[in-house]
Amino acid sequence: MQGQASQQWGGQRSKGGPNTLGRSIRYLGRQRTSAILAYGALVIATLAQLAVPQLIQNMINAVTEGTVATNIMNTVKIPLAQNLALAAAAKQVGTTVDVLKDAAINSQHWLVDALVIIVVFAAVRAVFSFVQAYMSEKMSQGVAFDFRNEIFAKVQRLSFSYHDRNQTGQLMIRATDDVERVRTFIAQGLVLAAQSFLLLIATLIILFATNWKLTLVVLPILPIALIVFGFFARVTTPLFMEIQKRLSVLNTVLQENLAGIKVVRAFAREQYEDQRFGVPNQSYYEQQIRVARTFSFLFPLIFLIMQFGQAAILYVSGRMIITNDLTLGNYQSFSLYLLYVFFPLGQLGFIVQLMSQAVASSNRIFEILDAESDVTDKPNAITLPPIEGHVEFKGVTFRYFNSGEPVLNNVSFEAKQGQTIALLGGTGSGKTTIINLIPRFYDASEGQVLIDGHDVRDVTLDSLRSQIGIVLQETNLFSGTIRDNIAFGRPDATDEEVFAAAKAAAAHDFITSFPQGYHTPVGERGTTLSGGQKQRVAIARALLLNPRLLILDDSTSSVDLITESLIQKALDTLMKGRTSFVIAQRITTVLNADLILVLDKGKIAASGKHEDLMENSAIYAEIYNSQLVGDAPVDEPEAAQEAK
Amino acid sequence: MMGPMGGPQRLLETQSEKAGSVAGTLLRFGQYFGVYITGVIIALVLIVISTWAQVVGPDYIGQAVDCYFFPQTTSNCWFDSTVQAAIQSNTISSISIDTKLAGIGHVVLILIGLFVLGSVVSGLGFYTMSRTGQLVLKKMRQDVFHKAHQLSLSYYSEHDAGDIMSRLTNDTQTIQQVFGFALLSVISGALLMVWIVIKMLQDNPVYALICLAVVPFMFISTVYLSNRARKAFRVTREELGNVNSDLQESIAGVREVQAFNREEENIENFRRANAANRDANIQAAAFTSALTPTLEALGYIAIGIVVAVGGISVIQNQPLLGTTLISLGTVFAFVQYVQRFTQPITQIAVLWANIQAAVAGGERIFAIIDEKVDLVEKPNAKPMPAIKGKVEFDHVQAGYQQNVPVLKDIEFTAQPGQMIAIVGPTGAGKTTIINLIPRFYDVTSGAVKIDDIDVRDVTFESLRSQIGIVLQDTFLFSDTVMNNIRYGKLDATDDEVIAAAKLVQADSFIERLPQGFQTILGERGSGLSQGQRQLIAIARVALMNPSLLILDEATSSVDTRTERLIQKAFEQLLKGRTSFVIAHRLSTIRNADLVMLLRDGQIVERGTHNELLAKKGAYYDLYMSQFRREEEPAEGNGKVSEAVPSK
Repeated sequence: MQGQASQQWGGQRSKGGPNTLGRSIRYLGRQRTSAILAYGALVIATLAQLAVPQLIQNMINAVTEGTVATNIMNTVKIPLAQNLALAAAAKQVGTTVDVLKDAAINSQHWLVDALVIIVVFAAVRAVFSFVQAYMSEKMSQGVAFDFRNEIFAKVQRLSFSYHDRNQTGQLMIRATDDVERVRTFIAQGLVLAAQSFLLLIATLIILFATNWKLTLVVLPILPIALIVFGFFARVTTPLFMEIQKRLSVLNTVLQENLAGIKVVRAFAREQYEDQRFGVPNQSYYEQQIRVARTFSFLFPLIFLIMQFGQAAILYVSGRMIITNDLTLGNYQSFSLYLLYVFFPLGQLGFIVQLMSQAVASSNRIFEILDAESDVTDKPNAITLPPIEGHVEFKGVTFRYFNSGEPVLNNVSFEAKQGQTIALLGGTGSGKTTIINLIPRFYDASEGQVLIDGHDVRDVTLDSLRSQIGIVLQETNLFSGTIRDNIAFGRPDATDEEVFAAAKAAAAHDFITSFPQGYHTPVGERGTTLSGGQKQRVAIARALLLNPRLLILDDSTSSVDLITESLIQKALDTLMKGRTSFVIAQRITTVLNADLILVLDKGKIAASGKHEDLMENSAIYAEIYNSQLVGDAPVDEPEAAQEAK
Repeated sequence: MMGPMGGPQRLLETQSEKAGSVAGTLLRFGQYFGVYITGVIIALVLIVISTWAQVVGPDYIGQAVDCYFFPQTTSNCWFDSTVQAAIQSNTISSISIDTKLAGIGHVVLILIGLFVLGSVVSGLGFYTMSRTGQLVLKKMRQDVFHKAHQLSLSYYSEHDAGDIMSRLTNDTQTIQQVFGFALLSVISGALLMVWIVIKMLQDNPVYALICLAVVPFMFISTVYLSNRARKAFRVTREELGNVNSDLQESIAGVREVQAFNREEENIENFRRANAANRDANIQAAAFTSALTPTLEALGYIAIGIVVAVGGISVIQNQPLLGTTLISLGTVFAFVQYVQRFTQPITQIAVLWANIQAAVAGGERIFAIIDEKVDLVEKPNAKPMPAIKGKVEFDHVQAGYQQNVPVLKDIEFTAQPGQMIAIVGPTGAGKTTIINLIPRFYDVTSGAVKIDDIDVRDVTFESLRSQIGIVLQDTFLFSDTVMNNIRYGKLDATDDEVIAAAKLVQADSFIERLPQGFQTILGERGSGLSQGQRQLIAIARVALMNPSLLILDEATSSVDTRTERLIQKAFEQLLKGRTSFVIAHRLSTIRNADLVMLLRDGQIVERGTHNELLAKKGAYYDLYMSQFRREEEPAEGNGKVSEAVPSK
């Protein structure tokens, strides 16, 4: 019921947009057992609460009757007149002598019985309240668990371009804080709403039965309370949305600062960063204050409405009593239950708060869950058969975010099975983009990338990427041991396979020189390893896949020269029989290539073998010569030395 | 009193004993709130007033009932002296209906006044308290952030960034939930409770004691359950930190994850961390959920006992336990007392349980804030004078872990204007040497001196702001290209930034970006190639115009042509400045005034390139095996032949 009410609000606010809170609540479907237990216990515990006034009333009655009876029995002492007088006294209080006798004898038993009942009742209600609270928490944790898993799975699968646009810190807040907000609503807000609703309806029924005229005085409060509720729900949701946004900014600055902590140190920018963090920190604070201000208004307002209701009841019932339209007993039992009308109304403030937060957060959660990954398996995607190694680019154009100048402009080429393709060109000429398109990290804006004649968009990502070994520019290692990192792409690899890959990448020696060898923990982003060591682990990681297609991007750039030669040798053997794409800045690598693609501003300026290009391509010759020019001064100091 | 940001030495002493202590953590919370004591006091005063309004209201309702509804059943009508007189003179029936109606109207008006006053005051109190709480949280976040930049880099090789982030966001959030409205309603609840207890004692001390007999049980169950909850909460905070670490790493490294088809595996791992977090929370819920029902049940039992004892006493018309005879009305009143008394107790107990979560969160926050900073400025640190460029390593020993020296007795002097090339195999200690110059780490023995001043004697800011460093790992912020370059000199004009970019040949590619210098880069500079990122990082240093330059494989990712251009730019920049270069390229090494060959943390050979070659030692071997390869293409031209090493 309350779920529906909340859905309605959610729907109104997002104006035709998806009703995300309702969708969040539907996640309870997977927590059926806990949810049924929680709400079942809730109904019982709430209805039991309604029995409390009755139970107390029973005890009071027992005492009253017992007192009256005992008093009469005790006061009338004359034996002869006893029966008569008793009968008269009994008549006076509207009962018979037998009943009085019973009452006098039994009232203490009743009292003891009532005590036992109340203790048993207390225990039973406690059990149900516990079940309700515990199961509510359990079901909400279950929902949060599902949400986090789904967000994580989604984020892991979203394309590179999604991640180019969205910062880690911001995505993290959605998976943690926003989920927590929705969870709190499901654990508390929704339960509180259901409880209040149930209590309110049941109490109103009881009140109507007790005194319908007085109940009519209470009724106008309900629509007023609902209007206030609706108004605040509408006003506060955007406020909470803004809170989450600002928290995300805060977290993004934090995340970046932690990731780039070395740069901050290097430039002695700690103070500057303190100030920079101060800005979102202040803005988050200000938004929190805005919310606090709204709720400082809402909470007392709701209580005030409630209290006005109380005053109205007092006034009207007073009039009725004075005009003899209401008896004391009637008034007392009515006022006992009145508490249960006002209690749920008092909860409205909290419900609004929890609900508005949840609406705001669930919008943000579903923004991720509903994000369309631009790189996904087609519905009828086939498994790519074992790659033979024929790679073809047909008129490929690529723009980041599908805007701006093309990074690749109508690029076509063909790599035959087993060939080594060297990509050459200035910084930003599009080399990296070409290799990003082969494992389909991005989709071409125009044109086609074909592997063995299959468009990469027609095959499953799994079957495609599992056959391609990649060493990216930036070496990102993960916390875990060195072994874990080498086996990153194949967690089931045997030790022998891991060692072999490490040996091939010239990493085995330095790894075994560590006290813990392969079980040496690697800090986050590989902080405990030097640049060259990280890179070799990354190479070993790629080699372990024994891929049919190899992509090496600047792979040996931070390795010292001895190591590089070792790696080069290993790679040479490895590349044999596999199609390889290598971005290399050293001419030596290029000399061995079967095909050299010279890129300039996103276009293939020249392609062919070294000899052809030297003759036919001015750009290639220039790049080649610039390398030579770069090394030419070599002679001079030596010449000078020679001259000495 | 130690301030929240107290000195590191004192913090170090107290940290261990405080780590597990609830009182210690609460005290720290108290210290934070102490900073905003005015707000706290104002909120408290407002709460006392609104609680008073809340307490007095029912009294007036009672008077309406006593004086006007059923004057025949009462003996106490302080609200209306006429009615009171009538009651005492037994002439109740003489009170006119109009008097009664007017009286009720009077009471209702007073009630409305009280209610409005109570609402306004409690609204203001709520606002003041929330504001104070938010100020505290803002300060905590800022303190954690500040601390994050003081912690040594080695701290980060042991702690996940995600976990630190979790402390700053999730853990502060837990605190926020407790130290806002909840705390306020508890203060008000506590006042209410005290007031009710006083009333009970006034009314009938014996019955009051009977009712209060359940309080120790309430106390014991609260303490027991909340202690269990705290332990469980501690686990939940840690597990949430793990979830956050997992998230952080997997999102930041998503490109690798996809490249290696690791999605399923990672999802499975995350599921595990996530499930551990869920289970820890459910575990904690077992204790927190038990609290309210337990206390409520105890409340009902108290009611039952009061009615039973009181009832028997009334029925038998005998005073019980030496008290005066109790009336039915008193029994009834006590039932209501107990009901009104159980509610605030439950509230306080629940808050106490929730405070356990805040304490668990607080422990994690204070653990960072209290973390010992091993790299601190001396109290009397002076600003580094303008660096002339003499750099001296005086028998330096250094290492990241105890007893595992990475550098062993390094000793050299770089004269102003010299270019020092450091070569050697991976892991030899090259990066460590350059980390010591801007004092990213401290030496374990010996000293690093710049212009004969020990780097430990000067302030970080004055030292590092004169040293330009291009790191191996380029880091760019998700901001405009312009601002990324400006990071090197915050007050630089746009023209200066563009000039710096031109100087390092970065302008041509920047201008081709969609919005040129105003293009906002993705996280870590995504959308740019590594070479482009490196160019921006170099431009940053060029803009800074440092007196001392450190290049850690600065040009490893740019193509050779660009590298050549950058080197030319650097040559201009480096004129007369001391520089340290970790280089893998021969061309760089050859230009160096001093080449140091490092192996296993020691300088095995030093001299100029030519001197070292002539020595035919380790450097010669290195050259023969490796550097020569680099000149192979030249062989094709017949310019540089094998003759080189033989010289």
